[in-house]
Amino acid sequence: MTELQARGVVKAYGPTPALRGITLDVAEGEIVAVTGPSGCGKSTLLYCLAGILRPDAGQVTWRGERIDTWSEAARSRLRRTEFGVLFQFGQLVPELTAAENVALPLLLAGTGRRAGRTAALAWLDRLGVADLADTRPGEMSGGQQQRCALARALVTEPRVLFADEPTGALDTLAGEQVLGHLVRLSREQRTTVVLVTHEPRVAGYADREVMLRDGVVDGTGLGIEVPSSGGPGRSTGGLGLLVGDAGAGSVQDGLR
Amino acid sequence: MRPGTLVRLALAGTRTDKVRVALTALSAALATLAGLAALTVLAIPTPLRTDDNPARWSLQYANTLLREPGLRGGTAFALLLLAVPVLALAGQCARLGAPARDRRLAALRLAGATPGQVTRLAVLETGVASLFGTVTGLVAFLSARGLLDRPDAHGQLALPTDVLPSPVALAAVVLGLPAVAAAGTALLLRRVATTPFGVVRRAGRDRAPRPWFALLILVGLAVFAAYHPVNSWYRHRDMEPPLLLLPMLLVAGGIAATVGSVLASAWFSHTAGRLLHHLARGPAALLAARRLTADPWAGSRTFAALLAAVLLGGGAAGMRANAQARYDIERAEYRLIGDLHAPNPFYLQTISLVDLAVAIAVTIAAGGLLVALVEGIVARRRAYAALVAQGVPRGVLGRSITWQALAPAVPAVLLALTVGLLLGRRFAGPVRTGVVSGKVCEATAELCADPATRERYLRTIAPPKRYFMPDVPLEHLALFGAGALAAVSLTVLVGLLFLRASTRVEELRAT
Repeated sequence: MTELQARGVVKAYGPTPALRGITLDVAEGEIVAVTGPSGCGKSTLLYCLAGILRPDAGQVTWRGERIDTWSEAARSRLRRTEFGVLFQFGQLVPELTAAENVALPLLLAGTGRRAGRTAALAWLDRLGVADLADTRPGEMSGGQQQRCALARALVTEPRVLFADEPTGALDTLAGEQVLGHLVRLSREQRTTVVLVTHEPRVAGYADREVMLRDGVVDGTGLGIEVPSSGGPGRSTGGLGLLVGDAGAGSVQDGLR
Repeated sequence: MRPGTLVRLALAGTRTDKVRVALTALSAALATLAGLAALTVLAIPTPLRTDDNPARWSLQYANTLLREPGLRGGTAFALLLLAVPVLALAGQCARLGAPARDRRLAALRLAGATPGQVTRLAVLETGVASLFGTVTGLVAFLSARGLLDRPDAHGQLALPTDVLPSPVALAAVVLGLPAVAAAGTALLLRRVATTPFGVVRRAGRDRAPRPWFALLILVGLAVFAAYHPVNSWYRHRDMEPPLLLLPMLLVAGGIAATVGSVLASAWFSHTAGRLLHHLARGPAALLAARRLTADPWAGSRTFAALLAAVLLGGGAAGMRANAQARYDIERAEYRLIGDLHAPNPFYLQTISLVDLAVAIAVTIAAGGLLVALVEGIVARRRAYAALVAQGVPRGVLGRSITWQALAPAVPAVLLALTVGLLLGRRFAGPVRTGVVSGKVCEATAELCADPATRERYLRTIAPPKRYFMPDVPLEHLALFGAGALAAVSLTVLVGLLFLRASTRVEELRAT
């Protein structure tokens, strides 16, 4: 089943075109990496697909429903309930503890504080940062913050996870850990993932890669097939294996 | 670094930096106007004693506050007090756009600037902006002086537009204020280390506030209340108190109580945050609760000027209740002896001027509050933008900001009003009845004038002497309290206009 669809999506910032007629299908449970050089429109495409931005022309549909015509409130509700969003940095509220940050989407949905905390603790545990539950973001490393942010994005068990350069501000090891968790948990929950990155190594974790250049699709390709012993790949399913030991070299080799 | 380069770099920056410079200049201009007004009142010469003018009044003025030499010191002091909220506004403005400025300074360090050069840049920015403000304030003052120099039909002036402070006094304000502002910036920067990788703030107060403010308030009230007993002690012994003793009791007591009330808002912030955290169900209250407990001292900084103004308002309300009671008693007792003239309403009119000053101070303080609020939103714009992108309604963020402003403001305003009222009532003292006595004619004027019958028909009326404290002026207190909280609410509403701009998706990509 097609989870997300973009048809002839056009978006410009003033006189500067960002997207010039993008057409793209994302299947349910698929992990798609949108890649390309800086300024090619990757993030704009992600924001349009997630309903954060409204395209100037074209259509965005989710499960057959056209969402680009929805009101801001309706799209916000959609993002809160059906989508999860992960950014490069600066997304945790600095004054809230990790558990409170993770529980925030649940509280917004009307869940009680106690139940919200219980769910948040479970997610932090799955991401290996349960011991940081009562720690504030300022006291965590970048990788720990990003894992908390991932827990927050997944706590509502969204159908689609949008990740905008999720490892862009992390070192290689922390980036691998975050990506490992992201892919493993998405597979477990059959969550569809749209991942924006300019790093070929990160794109290697996806099932499919969509390359953009100057606001148009420049090509698509499959995710990189790697040996089942480790590393990113479209067919492995249990990518938790990758945590901490993914071979960046093999990914890059594969891309060539 | 050449001076020209230093000035150019000091005044370079983003739009926020320019807004900060403009607001700093505006604050300096307002403070200059308050300072020059006070100095002008003090510059009024006291004429020599003559038979026509034994009280040495400056008869060229229509206003008693300017005419009577004994009242001019207090008037100048009141004008100087107006500079307090203005300086608080300047303090808030200095924090505007701090993250962007920190990044700019770090970039300069990365480009090879020494820590000293970076500090000089920050100090120079404040100094130059303040100097521009004080010069503008001086020009505005001199222009207004010419425009307002209009004697009335009796040839009297409403304002002291016929005198000018000495050139030294003028220079002290115009050059002194920027120097003080620059020194203040340098002092604040001692807690900050600008490295090529960013600005590091040295560990400050991160402990939860303790209720020591209560002690400060009690000490302030006690010192202030000592004014009348100390004065009586000397008078009973036919002695004059030392020259500065009584004013010092009032000033020291007043300052201690005011500082205590301002510090109380930090404790209120922290306590309100903890209570909210325990009791709140929704995410808006949770966000507010955590921000309040994370930096409770921000409440003190933000509300300082407003609380000082409210405290002054509470004091004015207490004194007005006293003056009104005296006025009413005097008028009633004059009527008892058949004298229908109205007593002199001078004190009531003076307190109306204080009320006006409080309203102006609250307005200026609200400006500072707005700057602080917007700064808080802008500083967290990326986290807010991320929340909005994840589907958090802006209404939730708006409600959290409203909680955050009002939760500590309500108890802090109530406390400031109470402390102000106690100070005002202590200063004004009890009201006395029996201030007027006289004879009333209970027959015709002829019989009362006739020495033979005068004793029989003239009755002496002397109301009993009694001391009492007037009722608490709840109406006035409610007016000041509601006014202050309305000002806070209004600034929140205006501040929320910036929320939409600060949560745009572009903020997610900003570095």
